[in-house]
Amino acid sequence: MGRIVLNKVSKSFGETLVIPPLDLTIEDGDFTVFVGPSGCGKSTLLRMIAGLEELTSGDIEINDKDVTQVSPSKRGLAMVFQSYALYPHMTVRKNIGFPLRMQKMAPAEIDKRVENAAASLNLVDYLDRKPGQLSGGQRQRVAIGRAIVRDPLAFLFDEPLSNLDAALRVGMRLEINEMHARMKTTMIYVTHDQVEAMTMADKIVVLRAGLIEQIGSPLDLYHRPQNVFVAGFIGSPKMNIFSGPEAEKVNAHSIGIRPEHTEVSMTKGAWKGRVGVAEHLGSDTFIHVHDTGLADILTVRISGDISLKHGDKIFLSPQTDRIHKFDEEGLRIE
Amino acid sequence: MSDRKLPRLLQTPAVLLLLVWMLVPLGMTLYFSFIRYVLNNLRKPEWTTPNISNWRGFGNYEFVLNSKSFILAIQNSLLIVCSILFLTVILGIMIAVLINKTFPGQGIVRVLLISPFFVMPAVNAVLWINMILDPVLGLQGIAVSGINETLISLRSMPVLGGFFSLWPQFEPISFRATQTSAIAVIMMVTWQWTPFAVLILMTSLQSEDQQQKEAAILDGASAWSQFRFLTLPHLGRPIAIVVMIQAIFHLSLYAEIEIVSRGNGNKNLPYLIGEFANNNIGAASATGIFAVILANIVAIFLLRMIGRTLME
Repeated sequence: MGRIVLNKVSKSFGETLVIPPLDLTIEDGDFTVFVGPSGCGKSTLLRMIAGLEELTSGDIEINDKDVTQVSPSKRGLAMVFQSYALYPHMTVRKNIGFPLRMQKMAPAEIDKRVENAAASLNLVDYLDRKPGQLSGGQRQRVAIGRAIVRDPLAFLFDEPLSNLDAALRVGMRLEINEMHARMKTTMIYVTHDQVEAMTMADKIVVLRAGLIEQIGSPLDLYHRPQNVFVAGFIGSPKMNIFSGPEAEKVNAHSIGIRPEHTEVSMTKGAWKGRVGVAEHLGSDTFIHVHDTGLADILTVRISGDISLKHGDKIFLSPQTDRIHKFDEEGLRIE
Repeated sequence: MSDRKLPRLLQTPAVLLLLVWMLVPLGMTLYFSFIRYVLNNLRKPEWTTPNISNWRGFGNYEFVLNSKSFILAIQNSLLIVCSILFLTVILGIMIAVLINKTFPGQGIVRVLLISPFFVMPAVNAVLWINMILDPVLGLQGIAVSGINETLISLRSMPVLGGFFSLWPQFEPISFRATQTSAIAVIMMVTWQWTPFAVLILMTSLQSEDQQQKEAAILDGASAWSQFRFLTLPHLGRPIAIVVMIQAIFHLSLYAEIEIVSRGNGNKNLPYLIGEFANNNIGAASATGIFAVILANIVAIFLLRMIGRTLME
């Protein structure tokens, strides 16, 4: 079980400051997701926790012990890489057993642990294959198996699902969630996909350019985004954010309304517009509305299907209690 | 004309040329190896022209097999090829791993490391045997006499002189001698071909997956374990290629052997063929056929071994 604390941790590559000094506490047993656009420093942060990148300043504690100068293997963390990083010349059995072999564990004990891990990951039939003979999902499972056998204080996942196809990704997402529910080990998960973040996390850390924009539970971020960036980043389709007379009416610099919090009518409403592209998903329809005079395009989401044609007139009315208000700095106004 | 015929027809000249190129010399060698054919014989002038009436059956083969130098030549061929392969692969791996790290002056070091490969074999042999290995004038001679002079001056020291007088003086080694000339050849060819191994292995090291290394670091693998379990298996295929290409080249070494010792105690198969060919074309051809067989045995072994590595 591991509680991880970052104190004033910063990182620069040469002259460029990638992560300005940052404080963060990851509680024992939490599933924490680092999410942000690419290049925001989330992977670097994870690699610093793992010990693969040196800190420029600050320190890292695991279970109240300063591990800043401790070598990666002694920190008791296990990492799953985006490319799986399996050892191509070893069988699945050897891959999973490798960390134990490096700990000079007795072969019989290694075998037992590998069998257990393989059983829990449905890999028993593949133990004597090499990674090259496995599918993407199976490889990912082997990588997770290699992390599990070490019985680590915390798991670190570096975009583990981004090389999988959409269907597999959903499946693996569930499996990792199940695994966390079963093992209750601290997990840190890095992703650029806000859907993954929302569905998996106990706590989401939204990063931008090395800065923490907001920390909170998924629904916290959804209902009370602290600033315009988080508001736009969390939620799909994106929140409509615009400034102008409508915002001034409620004493804000800009306001945001989520696509699903807007009522649609063909006859009357607060805002008038013209239908652009309508994306029919069956369960939902996303309508892109032009010429509202508020923003270039407003997106609205309605459940079920609706028959609309390109160019139709449409009226929108926001649910007034769901409007998010932001000031000139882009910070939330309560 | 159908679609397939035209490409076939256009390929024909090349295929024919290759066939002729291979089959005619092989056929002539086979023919000569079964007849009596010498370049100069005053008692039997009829042997000096190739003629089927001079048929000798397997006589040439018997003659070659019974000659002592044939067995020695095969042993020597294998000794030289295997030693060079062993040394170049070991040195190649060590140097490639060493220079794979980034350091200032990397580019220049790499170019310098590759440069021995561009020296002509004969020039390489002349340089080594005369300027480096010569027991008097070469670096070896200078170094040995320098050490000996130091030793003599140390012996005249007041207290420790007695201790140093127990030390023997060094003798320079003559690398043109029967016992040592093969070693000279191995040294100079190793020097020349190590860059080849370095070049191929270095390229392969650069394609190594760094995330695998990081995973291994997190798994607690030491630098040696990372090398043993990740880098070495990764280098399996390029090592196989280095071994195969070098084996082909070194089975036919000639210039170095000629220059070092004129074959004194150091003949390999091609050199023996050359010697026979001074007069006895029949015996030379029979040896040539043996060389073809030996090369094929080596090739089959290598292809089996390497084929397995390449399949993975």
